[in-house]
Amino acid sequence: MAVGPASPLVERRARRWFTAVVAATLALLGACAAFVWWVDPFQQYRLASHYPPRFYTLHHRYINPGLAKHQSYDTVVSGSSIMESTPNSVVARHCGGIAVNLSMPAMSAAERKLMLDTAFESRQLKRAILVLDFNEFAGQPDARQDVAGPLPAYLYDRNPFNDLPYLLSWNVLLRSWHIVRGEESETYRSDPDAPWFWGGLKRFGRDEVLRGLDLAHLNVRFQQPRRTLPGMRASFERNVLPLLRGHPHTEFDLVWPPYSILVWLDFAQRDQLDVSFAFKRYVYEATRDLPNVSIIDLQDEATITHDLDRYTDLYHFDPGINERLIEAACSGRERTTLERLDESERRLRAQVQAIETPSGLARLVDREGSAAEAARLAAPPAPRK
Amino acid sequence: MLFNSYDYLLYFLPLSLVGFFLLGRRPRWAVGWLVAASLFFYAWWDPRYLPLILASIAVNFGVGRVLHGRPRRAMLVLGGGIAANLLLLGVFKYADFALSNAAALFGAPIALPHLVLPLGISFFTFTQIAYLVDVYRGKAREPSVANYALFVSFFPHLLAGPILHHSEMMPQFASPSNKRPQAANLSAGLFLLCIGLVKKVCFADQLAPLAEAGFGHPGELSAIGAWVAVLAYTLQIYFDFSGYTDMALGAARMFNIELPINFDSPYHATNIREFWQRWHITLSRFLREYLYIPLGGNRHGPWRTALAVMVTFLLGGLWHGAAWTFVAWGALHGAALVCYRGWRRSGLRLPRPLAWLVTFLFVMLAWVFFRATSLANAAAVLQALAGANAVPAETSAASVQRWVAQLEGIFAPAAPTSVALATAVVLGGVAVVALQRNSNRMVREFRPDWVNGFAVTFALAFSVLQLGKVAPFIYFNF
Repeated sequence: MAVGPASPLVERRARRWFTAVVAATLALLGACAAFVWWVDPFQQYRLASHYPPRFYTLHHRYINPGLAKHQSYDTVVSGSSIMESTPNSVVARHCGGIAVNLSMPAMSAAERKLMLDTAFESRQLKRAILVLDFNEFAGQPDARQDVAGPLPAYLYDRNPFNDLPYLLSWNVLLRSWHIVRGEESETYRSDPDAPWFWGGLKRFGRDEVLRGLDLAHLNVRFQQPRRTLPGMRASFERNVLPLLRGHPHTEFDLVWPPYSILVWLDFAQRDQLDVSFAFKRYVYEATRDLPNVSIIDLQDEATITHDLDRYTDLYHFDPGINERLIEAACSGRERTTLERLDESERRLRAQVQAIETPSGLARLVDREGSAAEAARLAAPPAPRK
Repeated sequence: MLFNSYDYLLYFLPLSLVGFFLLGRRPRWAVGWLVAASLFFYAWWDPRYLPLILASIAVNFGVGRVLHGRPRRAMLVLGGGIAANLLLLGVFKYADFALSNAAALFGAPIALPHLVLPLGISFFTFTQIAYLVDVYRGKAREPSVANYALFVSFFPHLLAGPILHHSEMMPQFASPSNKRPQAANLSAGLFLLCIGLVKKVCFADQLAPLAEAGFGHPGELSAIGAWVAVLAYTLQIYFDFSGYTDMALGAARMFNIELPINFDSPYHATNIREFWQRWHITLSRFLREYLYIPLGGNRHGPWRTALAVMVTFLLGGLWHGAAWTFVAWGALHGAALVCYRGWRRSGLRLPRPLAWLVTFLFVMLAWVFFRATSLANAAAVLQALAGANAVPAETSAASVQRWVAQLEGIFAPAAPTSVALATAVVLGGVAVVALQRNSNRMVREFRPDWVNGFAVTFALAFSVLQLGKVAPFIYFNF
């Protein structure tokens, strides 16, 4: 069984072969890595300068860490896909400073934390706008949402020795080659002001929202996970609170986005309404003593949430609402108070109750009806700080 | 740590080799280095399980020492040692399975512990059971805890075998010449490692989405689609496990250690007995020596033999995983072996091509149970294979068109692969399995020259560039 020493001649030949093969393999891999490093299609080592940047569809998790490290900014927008259509210039216009949008589709709270940690490691931020999504707090606190591609954690740190999956990847090598050759191999955007903007690609309208939707079982199409209050709290405590407490000189805006009212109907259908309200109340309580944190809540704005023409599906609204949301965050006029929280919950419950009946739902999905319904439900504004 | 990862190939393996040979002049240090490297390799996956393997090594070494002292109640000591190993395996691997079945049987809800299965537990447990039995039989003796720890934890075989005999490893570990670099072994080892890596990343990982898509949607499969999916899995598991084994044997060879071969062109077998002499050879050896023969083997007539075969294969199936699908797979193979023994006694013979076809089809259909997520899933795939989801009769051209459309519809969304690539990989896999010399022969006939030097260089570089999407080896689950 044992493999004993070979003859000196065989050993000499084998030594030459082994040395040559190892050296040639390392040289070949080194050349590939150097080429990828030089082109750097995901902008991990520098921003694209000698070619128009390519923001490949659904490659947020690969490209955003590079933007976080190298782009010039003092304000961050962080959200899920609903925030992707927020140009940096819009944020700068309403909030001042220089902004970067680091949103990612189907983002989990743990992924958001990793992204923001990367940003904070690169600089001190003036402001961070965190658009919260209930679903990001589903599952375990360290859950990652591989539905939009696995998160390459090695790109989020400063350790060059773990970048091999990027530097030695056939796919990245091919992309580098296409960039050098000027070839169009896949869809991407090149606008660094709005790298992930999809507002111009989607159609908005109630027909779009209602297409293929079972109104009696809204989650059949979206398959959103079930959430529990303890689970959501644990995730918030692990992924959001440390950020808020660890950066007292950064102004944090936690924004509850205006989903369409059908999302709240879905929550009601799945017995997720109470847990959602309880979580909002918990977030308020957990952050009320942090002077650098504000909460902005647009979820009961019936003029938006009942106007299905402004959505492309239950969750995703048009870019105008993105701007409204940023404006609300930075204007300083719409901060949530405890009274406002109570009022918002009361209103949302009433709004859901109103569309839980067949006639209410019919009014919502009917073009004329929904405007009237929105006007009816839009009660006088609640007290704001 | 996975063999098919950057960390292993570019950092861990080279550093382990360099350290081992630098310390080679001090054998105890070299052994210590290799044990430390192997434990680091194991802990890389989850350091919380390091104490588990350390405790397992310590307990078995202690029991081995006691057995070696020829105690009066040696059988009792051996039984205790085996029971401790089986208890460990039972707790981590079978607790959920046993409790959920008990709950179903008695209709009472039982909280499941949901313990994470430590990597390689089935392999290092079997290796150590074999060691204890060998010590009891007077065939093995190990006075050094470091050598014993190396025998169990040597990283090339730690996670998915081969399952070793103490007697075939210790002389190699003890040899001083094996602690000096030997270019012939380094070259042959690298060559074998390269073959295994290519099998894994260029075949197994490319076939996986086809099998995944098919088994994931059996209700939507046409008969042709189902056969393609099952064939894809049949090829995938061979390339995956034999690729892993080649990488294990290659890495060990670089340390001047020759591990026993585990595969010998199993899909060339012309009967099921021959298949088991070619597939996962060290497991077959273990089951034969430590289960089948102690159960009576073929010494007590055909009925007792059949019973021993069935028990051996049922337990062998269960060893692969805590699920009824694995039990069914083991039962099928056991029954096939029993039938084959009867057939052989009858004196009937099939023409060789027909015998091969029958064997291959049986093995392929049995894999359905091995791959399926449940017995219901297996039944759905078998129904699809039988044409239960058949489309109406059409002209052959339209049928082919439909098949292509179905491949696009079912396979393409699950992976960045096209029909052409899928077809090429399946046909390429079949061609390699059918026509190519197996890796044992290739490494035996290996002579370092420029042609295979270029081939290995490009194959290694290309395979490393494919590692971005790391997929664990299937047998890591067992």
